[in-house]
Amino acid sequence: MKAIITCVVCPVSCPVEVEYHEHEILSIDRNQCKLALEYVRNEMFDPRRTVTTSVEVEGGAMPLVSVKTDRSIPKTQVAAAMKAICTVRVKPPVRTGDVIVANLLGTGANVVATRDVDPAATGAG
Amino acid sequence: MIRTERIDVAVIGGGPAGMAAASASRQAGAARVVLIERDPRLGGILNQCIHDGFGTKVFKEALTGPEFAGIYARKLKESGVETWLESTVIGFSPDRVLTICSRKGITRLETGAVVLAMGCRERSRGAIGISGTRPAGIYTAGAVQAYMNLRNIAVGRRFVILGSGDVGLIMARRLSLEGAEVVCVAEILPYPSGLARNVVQCLEDFGIPLYLNTTVVEIHGNSRVTGVTLAEVEPGGKMKRGSRRRVVCDTLMLSVGLIPENELSARAGVKLSPVTRGPVVDDSFQTSIPGVFACGNVLQVHDLVDYATLEAEKAGQSAARYSQAQVLPAANIPVEAGAGIRYVLPALVSGQEAVDFTMRVTAPSRERAIVFTDGTKEIRRLQQQVLAPAAMARVRLNRGRFDGAKKLVVEVAD
Repeated sequence: MKAIITCVVCPVSCPVEVEYHEHEILSIDRNQCKLALEYVRNEMFDPRRTVTTSVEVEGGAMPLVSVKTDRSIPKTQVAAAMKAICTVRVKPPVRTGDVIVANLLGTGANVVATRDVDPAATGAG
Repeated sequence: MIRTERIDVAVIGGGPAGMAAASASRQAGAARVVLIERDPRLGGILNQCIHDGFGTKVFKEALTGPEFAGIYARKLKESGVETWLESTVIGFSPDRVLTICSRKGITRLETGAVVLAMGCRERSRGAIGISGTRPAGIYTAGAVQAYMNLRNIAVGRRFVILGSGDVGLIMARRLSLEGAEVVCVAEILPYPSGLARNVVQCLEDFGIPLYLNTTVVEIHGNSRVTGVTLAEVEPGGKMKRGSRRRVVCDTLMLSVGLIPENELSARAGVKLSPVTRGPVVDDSFQTSIPGVFACGNVLQVHDLVDYATLEAEKAGQSAARYSQAQVLPAANIPVEAGAGIRYVLPALVSGQEAVDFTMRVTAPSRERAIVFTDGTKEIRRLQQQVLAPAAMARVRLNRGRFDGAKKLVVEVAD
Protein backbone atom coordinates (compact mmCIF):
# COMPACT_ATOMS: atom_id res chain seq x y z
CA MET A 1 0.00 0.00 0.00
CA LYS A 2 1.10 3.57 -0.67
CA ALA A 3 0.33 6.86 1.01
CA ILE A 4 1.54 10.45 0.88
CA ILE A 5 2.02 12.16 4.23
CA THR A 6 3.08 15.78 4.65
CA CYS A 7 5.80 15.86 7.28
CA VAL A 8 5.24 18.88 9.57
CA VAL A 9 8.34 18.53 11.75
CA CYS A 10 9.82 21.63 10.07
CA PRO A 11 8.69 24.27 7.53
CA VAL A 12 10.17 22.35 4.58
CA SER A 13 6.99 20.21 4.80
CA CYS A 14 8.19 17.29 2.67
CA PRO A 15 5.38 15.39 0.89
CA VAL A 16 6.69 11.99 1.98
CA GLU A 17 5.74 8.95 -0.11
CA VAL A 18 5.31 5.92 2.06
CA GLU A 19 5.05 2.29 1.07
CA TYR A 20 3.69 0.09 3.85
CA HIS A 21 2.25 -3.30 4.64
CA GLU A 22 -0.02 -3.55 7.69
CA HIS A 23 1.99 -2.00 10.54
CA GLU A 24 5.31 -1.95 8.79
CA ILE A 25 6.87 0.76 6.65
CA LEU A 26 8.60 -0.79 3.66
CA SER A 27 10.08 2.39 2.21
CA ILE A 28 9.82 6.16 2.36
CA ASP A 29 10.75 8.63 -0.35
CA ARG A 30 10.86 12.38 -1.08
CA ASN A 31 11.86 13.23 2.50
CA GLN A 32 14.87 15.51 2.89
CA CYS A 33 15.89 14.36 6.37
CA LYS A 34 15.69 11.45 8.78
CA LEU A 35 13.18 13.10 11.13
CA ALA A 36 10.45 12.31 8.63
CA LEU A 37 10.67 8.57 9.33
CA GLU A 38 9.60 8.81 12.96
CA TYR A 39 6.96 11.42 12.17
CA VAL A 40 5.50 9.31 9.38
CA ARG A 41 5.55 6.14 11.47
CA ASN A 42 3.68 7.85 14.33
CA GLU A 43 1.30 9.59 11.99
CA MET A 44 0.42 6.33 10.22
CA PHE A 45 0.19 3.88 13.08
CA ASP A 46 -0.36 5.92 16.27
CA PRO A 47 -1.36 9.51 15.45
CA ARG A 48 -1.68 11.67 18.55
CA ARG A 49 -2.83 15.23 19.24
CA THR A 50 -2.78 17.60 22.16
CA VAL A 51 -6.35 18.80 22.75
CA THR A 52 -6.81 22.45 23.66
CA THR A 53 -10.27 23.77 24.52
CA SER A 54 -12.06 25.59 27.32
CA VAL A 55 -14.20 24.84 30.37
CA GLU A 56 -16.94 26.95 31.93
CA VAL A 57 -16.13 28.73 35.19
CA GLU A 58 -19.15 29.33 37.44
CA GLY A 59 -18.86 32.78 38.97
CA GLY A 60 -15.48 33.56 37.42
CA ALA A 61 -14.09 36.91 36.35
CA MET A 62 -14.10 35.28 32.89
CA PRO A 63 -16.79 32.82 31.71
CA LEU A 64 -14.21 30.28 30.51
CA VAL A 65 -10.86 28.90 31.51
CA SER A 66 -8.66 27.61 28.69
CA VAL A 67 -7.40 24.04 29.17
CA LYS A 68 -5.19 21.46 27.45
CA THR A 69 -4.29 17.82 27.76
CA ASP A 70 -0.88 17.70 29.42
CA ARG A 71 0.26 15.14 26.87
CA SER A 72 -1.01 14.12 23.47
CA ILE A 73 -3.82 11.57 23.20
CA PRO A 74 -4.68 9.20 20.34
CA LYS A 75 -6.29 11.12 17.48
CA THR A 76 -9.16 8.62 17.46
CA GLN A 77 -10.10 9.75 21.00
CA VAL A 78 -10.16 13.49 20.32
CA ALA A 79 -13.90 13.69 19.63
CA ALA A 80 -14.73 11.67 22.75
CA ALA A 81 -12.37 13.87 24.75
CA MET A 82 -14.18 17.00 23.60
CA LYS A 83 -17.54 15.47 24.65
CA ALA A 84 -16.17 14.58 28.09
CA ILE A 85 -14.54 17.98 28.69
CA CYS A 86 -17.69 19.77 27.51
CA THR A 87 -19.71 18.66 30.55
CA VAL A 88 -17.14 19.85 33.12
CA ARG A 89 -17.76 22.99 35.23
CA VAL A 90 -15.26 24.49 37.65
CA LYS A 91 -15.37 27.13 40.38
CA PRO A 92 -12.85 29.95 40.73
CA PRO A 93 -10.14 30.59 41.61
CA VAL A 94 -8.43 28.49 38.94
CA ARG A 95 -4.66 28.57 38.55
CA THR A 96 -2.49 27.66 35.56
CA GLY A 97 -1.59 23.98 35.85
CA ASP A 98 -4.58 23.02 38.04
CA VAL A 99 -5.83 19.55 37.09
CA ILE A 100 -9.39 19.93 35.79
CA VAL A 101 -9.90 16.29 34.71
CA ALA A 102 -7.52 13.55 35.84
CA ASN A 103 -6.66 10.69 33.47
CA LEU A 104 -9.01 11.73 30.69
CA LEU A 105 -10.84 8.67 29.29
CA GLY A 106 -8.08 6.45 30.65
CA THR A 107 -5.53 7.95 28.26
CA GLY A 108 -3.17 8.87 31.09
CA ALA A 109 -3.43 12.53 30.09
CA ASN A 110 -4.73 15.10 32.56
CA VAL A 111 -6.73 18.12 31.45
CA VAL A 112 -5.01 21.13 33.02
CA ALA A 113 -5.83 24.84 33.15
CA THR A 114 -3.68 27.06 30.93
CA ARG A 115 -4.58 30.36 32.59
CA ASP A 116 -5.62 31.89 35.91
CA VAL A 117 -9.25 32.83 36.47
CA ASP A 118 -10.18 34.75 39.62
CA PRO A 119 -13.66 34.92 41.12
CA ALA A 120 -15.88 37.66 39.66
CA ALA A 121 -15.44 40.96 41.46
CA THR A 122 -18.37 41.67 43.80
CA GLY A 123 -19.82 45.13 44.32
CA ALA A 124 -19.12 48.20 42.23
CA GLY A 125 -15.51 49.24 41.79
CA MET B 1 -7.99 68.61 35.57
CA ILE B 2 -5.25 67.08 33.49
CA ARG B 3 -2.47 65.44 35.48
CA THR B 4 1.04 65.61 34.05
CA GLU B 5 3.64 62.94 34.79
CA ARG B 6 7.17 62.50 33.59
CA ILE B 7 8.56 59.01 33.01
CA ASP B 8 11.51 57.37 31.26
CA VAL B 9 9.92 54.85 28.91
CA ALA B 10 6.28 54.41 27.88
CA VAL B 11 5.23 51.22 26.11
CA ILE B 12 1.91 51.35 24.25
CA GLY B 13 0.19 47.95 24.18
CA GLY B 14 0.18 45.08 26.69
CA GLY B 15 0.39 42.13 24.31
CA PRO B 16 3.46 39.90 24.05
CA ALA B 17 5.59 42.56 22.31
CA GLY B 18 4.67 45.30 24.78
CA MET B 19 5.26 43.09 27.82
CA ALA B 20 8.65 41.93 26.50
CA ALA B 21 9.71 45.47 25.55
CA ALA B 22 8.73 46.94 28.93
CA SER B 23 10.52 44.24 30.95
CA ALA B 24 13.66 44.54 28.81
CA SER B 25 13.58 48.32 29.13
CA ARG B 26 13.52 48.11 32.95
CA GLN B 27 16.27 45.50 32.98
CA ALA B 28 18.37 47.73 30.71
CA GLY B 29 18.26 50.45 33.37
CA ALA B 30 15.25 52.66 32.62
CA ALA B 31 14.04 53.83 36.05
CA ARG B 32 10.35 54.41 35.46
CA VAL B 33 8.69 52.32 32.76
CA VAL B 34 4.93 52.47 32.21
CA LEU B 35 3.01 49.92 30.12
CA ILE B 36 -0.30 51.26 28.82
CA GLU B 37 -3.03 48.76 27.85
CA ARG B 38 -6.61 49.57 26.89
CA ASP B 39 -8.00 46.15 27.88
CA PRO B 40 -8.70 45.16 31.49
CA ARG B 41 -6.03 42.47 31.21
CA LEU B 42 -2.56 41.92 29.81
CA GLY B 43 -1.75 39.41 27.08
CA GLY B 44 -3.39 40.92 24.01
CA ILE B 45 -4.39 38.45 21.34
CA LEU B 46 -2.72 35.55 23.19
CA ASN B 47 -5.68 35.45 25.59
CA GLN B 48 -7.91 34.10 22.84
CA CYS B 49 -5.24 31.89 21.23
CA ILE B 50 -5.95 28.90 23.46
CA HIS B 51 -4.29 26.43 21.05
CA ASP B 52 -0.69 25.36 21.53
CA GLY B 53 2.44 25.96 19.48
CA PHE B 54 3.73 29.15 21.09
CA GLY B 55 7.24 29.32 22.50
CA THR B 56 8.91 26.59 20.45
CA LYS B 57 11.84 28.93 19.64
CA VAL B 58 12.24 30.74 22.99
CA PHE B 59 11.23 28.02 25.47
CA LYS B 60 11.71 24.91 23.28
CA GLU B 61 8.20 23.70 24.10
CA ALA B 62 4.74 24.16 22.63
CA LEU B 63 2.80 26.36 25.05
CA THR B 64 -0.74 27.68 24.67
CA GLY B 65 -1.23 31.42 24.12
CA PRO B 66 -2.41 32.14 27.70
CA GLU B 67 0.54 30.19 29.14
CA PHE B 68 3.01 32.12 26.98
CA ALA B 69 1.41 35.42 27.99
CA GLY B 70 1.46 34.36 31.65
CA ILE B 71 5.24 33.91 31.58
CA TYR B 72 5.77 37.43 30.22
CA ALA B 73 3.21 38.93 32.61
CA ARG B 74 5.18 37.47 35.54
CA LYS B 75 8.44 38.79 34.08
CA LEU B 76 6.84 42.19 33.76
CA LYS B 77 5.76 42.23 37.40
CA GLU B 78 9.15 41.06 38.65
CA SER B 79 11.00 43.68 36.62
CA GLY B 80 9.08 46.51 38.30
CA VAL B 81 7.18 47.93 35.33
CA GLU B 82 4.06 49.99 36.17
CA THR B 83 1.04 48.62 34.33
CA TRP B 84 -1.84 50.96 33.52
CA LEU B 85 -4.81 48.84 32.46
CA GLU B 86 -8.06 50.15 30.92
CA SER B 87 -6.03 53.10 29.71
CA THR B 88 -6.17 54.32 26.13
CA VAL B 89 -3.64 56.54 24.41
CA ILE B 90 -5.71 59.17 22.62
CA GLY B 91 -2.92 61.57 21.73
CA PHE B 92 0.71 61.22 20.70
CA SER B 93 2.90 64.13 19.60
CA PRO B 94 6.38 64.06 17.99
CA ASP B 95 7.94 65.43 21.21
CA ARG B 96 6.90 62.11 22.80
CA VAL B 97 4.06 63.42 24.93
CA LEU B 98 1.19 60.96 25.29
CA THR B 99 -2.38 61.83 26.23
CA ILE B 100 -4.00 58.97 28.07
CA CYS B 101 -7.65 58.45 28.91
CA SER B 102 -8.62 56.20 31.83
CA ARG B 103 -11.10 56.02 34.71
CA LYS B 104 -8.81 58.46 36.53
CA GLY B 105 -9.42 61.02 33.80
CA ILE B 106 -6.90 62.45 31.37
CA THR B 107 -3.16 62.07 31.97
CA ARG B 108 -0.46 63.93 30.08
CA LEU B 109 2.61 61.71 29.99
CA GLU B 110 5.99 63.22 29.15
CA THR B 111 8.39 60.46 28.16
CA GLY B 112 12.08 59.94 27.54
CA ALA B 113 11.28 57.27 24.96
CA VAL B 114 8.19 55.54 23.56
CA VAL B 115 7.84 51.95 22.36
CA LEU B 116 4.96 51.33 19.95
CA ALA B 117 3.52 47.82 20.46
CA MET B 118 -0.12 48.18 19.46
CA GLY B 119 -0.28 45.00 17.38
CA CYS B 120 -2.38 44.58 14.28
CA ARG B 121 -5.97 44.38 13.07
CA GLU B 122 -7.69 41.99 10.74
CA ARG B 123 -8.66 42.95 7.23
CA SER B 124 -12.44 42.95 7.00
CA ARG B 125 -15.05 42.55 4.28
CA GLY B 126 -14.73 46.23 3.40
CA ALA B 127 -11.01 45.78 2.75
CA ILE B 128 -11.52 43.07 0.13
CA GLY B 129 -14.72 44.36 -1.47
CA ILE B 130 -16.99 41.30 -1.83
CA SER B 131 -20.26 42.17 -3.55
CA GLY B 132 -23.72 41.07 -2.43
CA THR B 133 -26.13 41.85 0.37
CA ARG B 134 -25.12 42.93 3.86
CA PRO B 135 -26.59 40.30 6.18
CA ALA B 136 -25.54 39.28 9.68
CA GLY B 137 -23.16 36.33 9.84
CA ILE B 138 -19.95 37.76 8.39
CA TYR B 139 -17.06 37.74 10.84
CA THR B 140 -13.31 37.97 10.85
CA ALA B 141 -11.58 34.85 12.21
CA GLY B 142 -10.23 36.72 15.22
CA ALA B 143 -13.70 37.96 16.12
CA VAL B 144 -15.09 34.41 15.99
CA GLN B 145 -12.15 33.31 18.13
CA ALA B 146 -12.79 36.03 20.73
CA TYR B 147 -16.51 35.19 20.92
CA MET B 148 -15.86 31.47 21.23
CA ASN B 149 -12.79 31.34 23.46
CA LEU B 150 -13.32 34.34 25.72
CA ARG B 151 -17.08 34.81 25.84
CA ASN B 152 -18.43 31.31 25.20
CA ILE B 153 -20.60 32.42 22.29
CA ALA B 154 -21.06 30.40 19.08
CA VAL B 155 -21.68 32.76 16.16
CA GLY B 156 -22.83 30.18 13.60
CA ARG B 157 -23.44 26.52 12.72
CA ARG B 158 -22.22 26.12 9.14
CA PHE B 159 -19.15 28.05 8.04
CA VAL B 160 -17.39 28.91 4.83
CA ILE B 161 -13.92 30.30 5.45
CA LEU B 162 -12.36 32.75 3.02
CA GLY B 163 -8.58 32.92 3.23
CA SER B 164 -6.16 30.31 4.52
CA GLY B 165 -4.27 32.46 7.01
CA ASP B 166 -3.20 30.74 10.22
CA VAL B 167 -5.98 32.26 12.35
CA GLY B 168 -8.57 30.97 9.91
CA LEU B 169 -7.06 27.47 9.89
CA ILE B 170 -6.84 27.38 13.69
CA MET B 171 -10.49 28.43 13.88
CA ALA B 172 -11.53 25.78 11.33
CA ARG B 173 -10.25 23.17 13.82
CA ARG B 174 -11.70 24.93 16.84
CA LEU B 175 -15.16 25.22 15.24
CA SER B 176 -15.06 21.56 14.16
CA LEU B 177 -14.10 20.44 17.66
CA GLU B 178 -17.00 22.43 19.12
CA GLY B 179 -19.48 20.80 16.74
CA ALA B 180 -19.90 23.42 14.02
CA GLU B 181 -19.61 22.42 10.37
CA VAL B 182 -16.85 23.93 8.25
CA VAL B 183 -17.87 23.42 4.63
CA CYS B 184 -14.62 24.53 3.03
CA VAL B 185 -11.76 27.01 3.00
CA ALA B 186 -11.34 29.11 -0.15
CA GLU B 187 -7.94 30.64 -0.91
CA ILE B 188 -7.47 33.04 -3.82
CA LEU B 189 -3.74 32.26 -4.11
CA PRO B 190 -2.35 29.07 -5.68
CA TYR B 191 -0.83 28.08 -2.31
CA PRO B 192 -2.01 28.18 1.34
CA SER B 193 -1.28 31.38 3.29
CA GLY B 194 -0.87 29.51 6.57
CA LEU B 195 1.79 27.12 7.81
CA ALA B 196 1.81 23.52 6.49
CA ARG B 197 1.42 22.22 10.03
CA ASN B 198 -1.90 24.05 10.32
CA VAL B 199 -3.11 22.84 6.93
CA VAL B 200 -2.46 19.25 8.08
CA GLN B 201 -3.68 19.43 11.67
CA CYS B 202 -6.55 21.89 11.25
CA LEU B 203 -8.00 20.95 7.86
CA GLU B 204 -6.85 17.45 6.81
CA ASP B 205 -7.50 16.04 10.32
CA PHE B 206 -11.14 17.10 9.98
CA GLY B 207 -11.60 16.39 6.28
CA ILE B 208 -12.16 20.06 5.47
CA PRO B 209 -11.47 20.79 1.78
CA LEU B 210 -9.10 23.63 0.86
CA TYR B 211 -9.89 25.14 -2.54
CA LEU B 212 -6.91 27.03 -3.97
CA ASN B 213 -7.26 29.68 -6.72
CA THR B 214 -10.79 30.18 -5.39
CA THR B 215 -12.56 33.11 -3.82
CA VAL B 216 -15.98 34.29 -2.67
CA VAL B 217 -17.54 36.50 -5.33
CA GLU B 218 -20.95 37.03 -3.77
CA ILE B 219 -22.64 36.84 -0.40
CA HIS B 220 -26.33 35.83 -0.21
CA GLY B 221 -29.00 36.43 2.42
CA ASN B 222 -31.00 39.34 3.75
CA SER B 223 -31.17 39.31 7.53
CA ARG B 224 -28.69 36.43 7.83
CA VAL B 225 -26.15 34.84 5.49
CA THR B 226 -27.79 31.99 3.55
CA GLY B 227 -24.83 31.15 1.34
CA VAL B 228 -21.95 32.37 -0.76
CA THR B 229 -20.93 32.00 -4.39
CA LEU B 230 -17.43 30.67 -4.97
CA ALA B 231 -15.51 31.10 -8.22
CA GLU B 232 -12.15 29.96 -9.47
CA VAL B 233 -9.56 32.57 -10.30
CA GLU B 234 -7.28 32.25 -13.32
CA PRO B 235 -3.66 33.40 -13.30
CA GLY B 236 -3.83 37.15 -13.80
CA GLY B 237 -6.87 37.51 -11.57
CA LYS B 238 -9.79 36.87 -13.94
CA MET B 239 -12.73 34.72 -12.83
CA LYS B 240 -12.86 31.42 -14.69
CA ARG B 241 -16.00 31.19 -16.80
CA GLY B 242 -18.51 28.64 -15.61
CA SER B 243 -16.72 28.08 -12.31
CA ARG B 244 -19.28 29.89 -10.14
CA ARG B 245 -21.03 27.67 -7.64
CA ARG B 246 -23.25 28.43 -4.70
CA VAL B 247 -22.56 26.96 -1.28
CA VAL B 248 -25.08 26.98 1.58
CA CYS B 249 -23.80 28.35 4.90
CA ASP B 250 -24.99 30.62 7.71
CA THR B 251 -21.64 32.23 8.42
CA LEU B 252 -18.77 33.54 6.32
CA MET B 253 -15.53 33.78 8.25
CA LEU B 254 -12.73 35.91 6.83
CA SER B 255 -9.06 35.18 7.33
CA VAL B 256 -7.68 37.53 4.73
CA GLY B 257 -4.70 39.16 6.33
CA LEU B 258 -3.60 41.43 9.12
CA ILE B 259 -2.63 45.08 9.05
CA PRO B 260 -0.40 46.78 11.64
CA GLU B 261 -2.47 49.22 13.71
CA ASN B 262 -0.69 52.53 13.16
CA GLU B 263 -3.38 55.22 13.47
CA LEU B 264 -1.55 56.56 16.51
CA SER B 265 1.90 56.38 14.89
CA ALA B 266 0.63 58.20 11.81
CA ARG B 267 -0.85 60.95 13.96
CA ALA B 268 2.58 61.69 15.45
CA GLY B 269 4.11 61.70 11.98
CA VAL B 270 6.00 58.39 12.20
CA LYS B 271 7.07 57.40 8.68
CA LEU B 272 5.29 54.20 7.59
CA SER B 273 6.28 51.65 4.96
CA PRO B 274 3.71 51.21 2.18
CA VAL B 275 4.62 47.51 2.03
CA THR B 276 4.53 46.41 5.68
CA ARG B 277 2.15 49.24 6.73
CA GLY B 278 4.36 49.48 9.81
CA PRO B 279 6.96 52.10 10.80
CA VAL B 280 10.26 52.32 8.94
CA VAL B 281 12.89 51.40 11.55
CA ASP B 282 16.65 51.13 11.91
CA ASP B 283 18.60 48.35 13.61
CA SER B 284 17.76 49.67 17.10
CA PHE B 285 14.06 49.60 16.08
CA GLN B 286 13.96 53.40 16.16
CA THR B 287 11.36 54.98 13.87
CA SER B 288 11.71 58.21 11.90
CA ILE B 289 11.00 60.11 15.16
CA PRO B 290 14.00 60.06 17.52
CA GLY B 291 13.20 58.22 20.74
CA VAL B 292 10.17 56.43 19.28
CA PHE B 293 10.61 52.69 18.74
CA ALA B 294 8.37 49.98 17.27
CA CYS B 295 8.18 46.19 17.66
CA GLY B 296 5.85 43.23 17.30
CA ASN B 297 2.88 43.17 14.96
CA VAL B 298 2.59 46.97 14.80
CA LEU B 299 5.95 46.87 13.02
CA GLN B 300 5.43 43.79 10.84
CA VAL B 301 2.96 40.92 11.05
CA HIS B 302 4.72 37.91 12.56
CA ASP B 303 3.87 34.22 12.22
CA LEU B 304 5.63 33.32 15.47
CA VAL B 305 5.17 35.18 18.74
CA ASP B 306 8.68 34.09 19.75
CA TYR B 307 10.23 36.40 17.16
CA ALA B 308 7.87 39.24 18.08
CA THR B 309 9.11 39.09 21.68
CA LEU B 310 12.79 38.83 20.70
CA GLU B 311 12.40 41.89 18.50
CA ALA B 312 10.53 43.66 21.32
CA GLU B 313 13.30 43.00 23.85
CA LYS B 314 15.78 44.70 21.54
CA ALA B 315 13.40 47.65 21.01
CA GLY B 316 12.89 47.96 24.78
CA GLN B 317 16.64 47.97 25.42
CA SER B 318 17.12 50.65 22.75
CA ALA B 319 14.39 52.77 24.34
CA ALA B 320 16.10 52.51 27.74
CA ARG B 321 19.41 53.50 26.18
CA TYR B 322 17.83 56.46 24.39
CA SER B 323 16.03 57.71 27.50
CA GLN B 324 19.39 57.80 29.30
CA ALA B 325 21.73 59.08 26.56
CA GLN B 326 19.31 60.84 24.16
CA VAL B 327 21.26 59.41 21.26
CA LEU B 328 21.86 56.09 19.52
CA PRO B 329 24.43 55.11 16.88
CA ALA B 330 23.55 56.79 13.56
CA ALA B 331 22.06 54.30 11.12
CA ASN B 332 23.06 55.44 7.65
CA ILE B 333 23.33 52.25 5.61
CA PRO B 334 20.06 51.69 3.72
CA VAL B 335 18.77 48.16 3.21
CA GLU B 336 16.87 47.42 0.00
CA ALA B 337 14.53 44.57 -0.87
CA GLY B 338 15.82 43.15 -4.16
CA ALA B 339 14.46 40.46 -6.49
CA GLY B 340 12.10 38.00 -4.82
CA ILE B 341 11.98 39.86 -1.49
CA ARG B 342 8.69 41.58 -0.61
CA TYR B 343 10.22 43.51 2.28
CA VAL B 344 13.17 43.41 4.65
CA LEU B 345 13.60 44.95 8.10
CA PRO B 346 15.38 47.01 9.38
CA ALA B 347 15.44 49.59 6.58
CA LEU B 348 18.59 51.25 7.93
CA VAL B 349 21.57 49.82 9.82
CA SER B 350 24.39 51.42 11.76
CA GLY B 351 27.03 48.77 11.11
CA GLN B 352 27.95 49.00 14.81
CA GLU B 353 26.56 45.64 15.84
CA ALA B 354 25.15 42.37 14.56
CA VAL B 355 21.71 42.67 12.97
CA ASP B 356 18.88 40.15 12.79
CA PHE B 357 17.19 40.87 9.47
CA THR B 358 13.60 39.72 9.02
CA MET B 359 12.04 39.42 5.62
CA ARG B 360 9.30 37.85 3.53
CA VAL B 361 9.66 36.48 0.02
CA THR B 362 7.19 37.25 -2.78
CA ALA B 363 6.53 33.63 -3.85
CA PRO B 364 7.19 30.07 -2.66
CA SER B 365 10.32 28.36 -3.97
CA ARG B 366 12.68 25.48 -3.17
CA GLU B 367 16.46 25.13 -3.17
CA ARG B 368 17.29 28.78 -3.58
CA ALA B 369 19.39 31.24 -1.58
CA ILE B 370 18.95 34.50 0.31
CA VAL B 371 21.84 36.69 -0.82
CA PHE B 372 23.12 39.94 0.72
CA THR B 373 25.17 42.25 -1.52
CA ASP B 374 26.46 45.83 -1.26
CA GLY B 375 24.91 46.48 -4.67
CA THR B 376 27.64 44.63 -6.58
CA LYS B 377 29.72 42.42 -4.30
CA GLU B 378 28.23 39.42 -2.48
CA ILE B 379 28.43 39.73 1.33
CA ARG B 380 26.57 36.69 2.51
CA ARG B 381 24.71 33.77 0.94
CA LEU B 382 22.37 31.45 2.82
CA GLN B 383 21.12 28.36 1.04
CA GLN B 384 17.42 27.72 1.78
CA GLN B 385 15.65 24.38 1.30
CA VAL B 386 12.33 26.11 1.19
CA LEU B 387 11.12 29.71 1.04
CA ALA B 388 7.47 30.66 1.48
CA PRO B 389 5.65 33.96 1.94
CA ALA B 390 3.86 32.37 4.94
CA ALA B 391 7.13 31.88 6.82
CA MET B 392 9.14 34.94 7.78
CA ALA B 393 12.85 34.41 7.14
CA ARG B 394 15.29 35.59 9.77
CA VAL B 395 18.98 36.07 8.98
CA ARG B 396 21.77 37.34 11.24
CA LEU B 397 24.61 39.39 9.80
CA ASN B 398 27.54 39.84 12.15
CA ARG B 399 29.32 43.14 12.65
CA GLY B 400 32.13 43.53 10.15
CA ARG B 401 30.10 41.86 7.41
CA PHE B 402 29.00 45.25 6.12
CA ASP B 403 32.18 47.22 6.82
CA GLY B 404 32.47 50.03 4.32
CA ALA B 405 29.21 49.14 2.53
CA LYS B 406 27.20 52.14 1.32
CA LYS B 407 24.06 50.07 1.09
CA LEU B 408 22.78 46.50 1.45
CA VAL B 409 20.59 44.65 -1.03
CA VAL B 410 18.81 41.42 -0.14
CA GLU B 411 17.54 39.12 -2.86
CA VAL B 412 16.49 35.58 -3.66
CA ALA B 413 18.94 33.93 -6.06
CA ASP B 414 19.80 30.49 -7.46
